[in-house]
Amino acid sequence: MKLLTAILLIVLSCGIPGVVRAQQPPPQQQDEFVPIDQLPPQDQLPAAPLLVAAYSFVVLALFAYVVSVARRLTNVQRELERLEGDVKRGGSA
Amino acid sequence: MPNWFTPLAGICALMFAATPVLIANAPYESTMGLVQKIFYVHLPSAWMFLGGAIVCGIASVRFLFRGDPRQDRLAWAAAELVVLFGVITLVTGPLWARKAWGVWWQWDVRLTSSLMGWMVAVAYMLLRKYGGPGSDKLAAGLALFGMANVPFVYISVNYWRTIHPTTNVVPTLPTSFGLPLWFSAVTFLLLFILLLRMRVRLEEQRARIDTLYLSMDA
Repeated sequence: MKLLTAILLIVLSCGIPGVVRAQQPPPQQQDEFVPIDQLPPQDQLPAAPLLVAAYSFVVLALFAYVVSVARRLTNVQRELERLEGDVKRGGSA
Repeated sequence: MPNWFTPLAGICALMFAATPVLIANAPYESTMGLVQKIFYVHLPSAWMFLGGAIVCGIASVRFLFRGDPRQDRLAWAAAELVVLFGVITLVTGPLWARKAWGVWWQWDVRLTSSLMGWMVAVAYMLLRKYGGPGSDKLAAGLALFGMANVPFVYISVNYWRTIHPTTNVVPTLPTSFGLPLWFSAVTFLLLFILLLRMRVRLEEQRARIDTLYLSMDA
């Protein structure tokens, strides 16, 4: 009986945080931005790595894509010139 | 490349250099603070992502009905940009959400439909690369689904229960927030046009190579 009570207590205590979480209202949907002059101090550090990560990713992704397209264009241009040369030589022979 | 390409590339480079200055000087938002500044690259990239899906869809419709290979090349180029700007949107969004919502991801309508739109573009690319003969028309059909998804993504935040900011945010922005946003949006638009032209040029050159190989075989 004691064991059963203990198991029941453990199961109930595990369920409580879930019930509490379920009762919390969801965050409000935002439909306007309100400017402020100073950033709250507690907000400065945690957000900075996320901001740096976001901007770094954007710059790297765009740079990698531009390099990729430029490289593919150069290769295709080279192949085109080679083929055009082959066609000219074939035509003159 | 056309005559306008180099001057436009110069303007775009200058604007890309100026955008971080404008963003750094923009005020902090009252509830989100520093992390709200991700918005200035997240939103323009999302617009290019959705715009690219529309360009890809319209070019695919024209290719399907007229059989014009130029439209097919445009659709392929746009699909690649949908993948690129989609990745940027889907990475910067969760980086903002981690701070603003406390979670990286929510399976709500806006995020899920955006992910679906991106996956359609990836499927388009895979089909074009590995689909073999006839894949151009199959991929064009797929692009229509990608385009049909765009209005759904846009209106989703207004019609369904979601914690993503609504479409009312942009029209109600004060000038201090609006100026860096629109400057960044124009910069992304110029970049989109330049990249699209480069990518179409690549397909044009590939088509010329195919023609040359066929003429050599004949």
